[in-house]
Amino acid sequence: MSKASLIEEEALAGGKLRRERLLHRILPFVPGLALLIFWQWASDRLIRSIYVSRPTDIALRLYEMFASGEILPHLAVTAQELVLGYGIGVACGVVAGYALGRAPRLARIFEPYVMAFYGIPKIALAPLFIIWFGIGLWSKVALAAAMVFFLVFYNVYMGVRGVDAELVRLTMIMGANERQLTRHVYLPAAAPFVIMGMRMAIPYSVIGVIVGEFTSSVQGLGLFIHEASSTYDPAGVFAGIAVLLAFVVIANMLASRLERRLLRWQPAIEQGQPEG
Amino acid sequence: MSTPPSPRQRQTQAPRLEFSRVVRDFPDPTGKTALRVIDRVDFAVEQGRFTAIVGPSGCGKSTLLQMVAGLLAPTAGTVRQNGRAIQGLNRSVGLVPQQAKLLPWKTLAENVELPLLLARVAPKERERRGREIVAAVGLKGFENYYPHQLSGGMQKRASIARTLIYRPELILMDEPFGALDAQTRMLMQDDLQRLWSSEGSTIVFVTHDLTEAILLADNVIVLSRRPAKVKANLAIDLPRPRNVFEPFRTQGFTETYDRLWAVFKSELRPPPLGGEAVP
Repeated sequence: MSKASLIEEEALAGGKLRRERLLHRILPFVPGLALLIFWQWASDRLIRSIYVSRPTDIALRLYEMFASGEILPHLAVTAQELVLGYGIGVACGVVAGYALGRAPRLARIFEPYVMAFYGIPKIALAPLFIIWFGIGLWSKVALAAAMVFFLVFYNVYMGVRGVDAELVRLTMIMGANERQLTRHVYLPAAAPFVIMGMRMAIPYSVIGVIVGEFTSSVQGLGLFIHEASSTYDPAGVFAGIAVLLAFVVIANMLASRLERRLLRWQPAIEQGQPEG
Repeated sequence: MSTPPSPRQRQTQAPRLEFSRVVRDFPDPTGKTALRVIDRVDFAVEQGRFTAIVGPSGCGKSTLLQMVAGLLAPTAGTVRQNGRAIQGLNRSVGLVPQQAKLLPWKTLAENVELPLLLARVAPKERERRGREIVAAVGLKGFENYYPHQLSGGMQKRASIARTLIYRPELILMDEPFGALDAQTRMLMQDDLQRLWSSEGSTIVFVTHDLTEAILLADNVIVLSRRPAKVKANLAIDLPRPRNVFEPFRTQGFTETYDRLWAVFKSELRPPPLGGEAVP
């Protein structure tokens, strides 16, 4: 076989690989696109558009919202609530989960309480939180943080408790003190669980904030959606939801990037799959 | 925690390691009665010697090592190191466990250098010693691999390197080659023999393989069935280096094996009534 034909073959194989990779990128969009097309077609054919609106109307509404600046104050408030609620929830969850994971005696006292509070539907607390923290930003932050906290807490707690005891003992025999043990064994061992908890908590922080805003608020995407829905404006409802969706997708992408950086050491197949 | 004296500082007035009338009980599953696993074990290990402990499976070989490492306390009797009773976690030993147990989130080099990092050895010195020992166990070129990217044998080598690098005064090995295939195992035995004679460390090596014990050790301690007692303490005076690949060609190997087997075989089967069956 000549050298030229070998190169040609490699190029062909490369091309095939590239095409496959492209296909993999495109494939996830197919079902979504199909749904949008069906929606567009079915609106006013199968179902009246006053109930379900239609994608083109929603896109138009989105454009108007941003062009007029009508949505921007709502967006700013909700974004703040999300970032604060999520951040506080994750931070408290990691600290508490780590602390109880390392202190079995403390855990025996507090675990039943945490589990009991975990079972409370946080949504039922929304009106109380409004009374406690006011109608503004902080009641939503508290609600989101409460929902995020338990998920992260539980994951980190289980992660730290599941650390291979033999690894811990070996590292101690090698001369590690408590601080070194935390840094070289417990924290890296818990990292996959921290990240798992963080990813799972993203949608919950959104639910917390929106429920809070639905219950009572002066500004925010939740309020915007609530008003749109009570004035029979389905396009407005879906436009608001689309913005929320964008939030979740972006947050998820950031989390994936963090995961890839922190969990380089994991075998590729197991990546990001500790039990949740 | 004070730093252990270097291997050559202390001379052999007191034996490096000494078990005197050591007993260890474990509670049985019902928690009502105690199961005696170790029953009045006596033996001593001299500085610089390679001692193998053999015994039928489940007889408490690993329990002995755990007591030296301070992970378990004896129910009665004492374990002394350099004449002092071991109490609490013993940081002057190095432990090579059955599985390699590398930290999965650290590269090979980071794993091997970890003990020096923990002891706050300067980075330059740490890297130099790391390079040396990685080369000595034949892993040059794999420094930046993560454990899951290495074969079982390579992980084992790294695990041994991680212990050798900080030169603990006493190295405990708990069936370190048990899970390896036959060829890898012979290569590792050969390497361990070579490393041991150049480092001059004191090693206590638990195994259930008589051939391995004869090929590596200066002394073989034979334990009885549970509850374990010292059945015999045989000195192996075969010349070194020993040929681990063709043991039967070594002058005197067969006679030594026969001597050891004669002691060992009576411990293999339980008495006719009671006890567990040996397949």
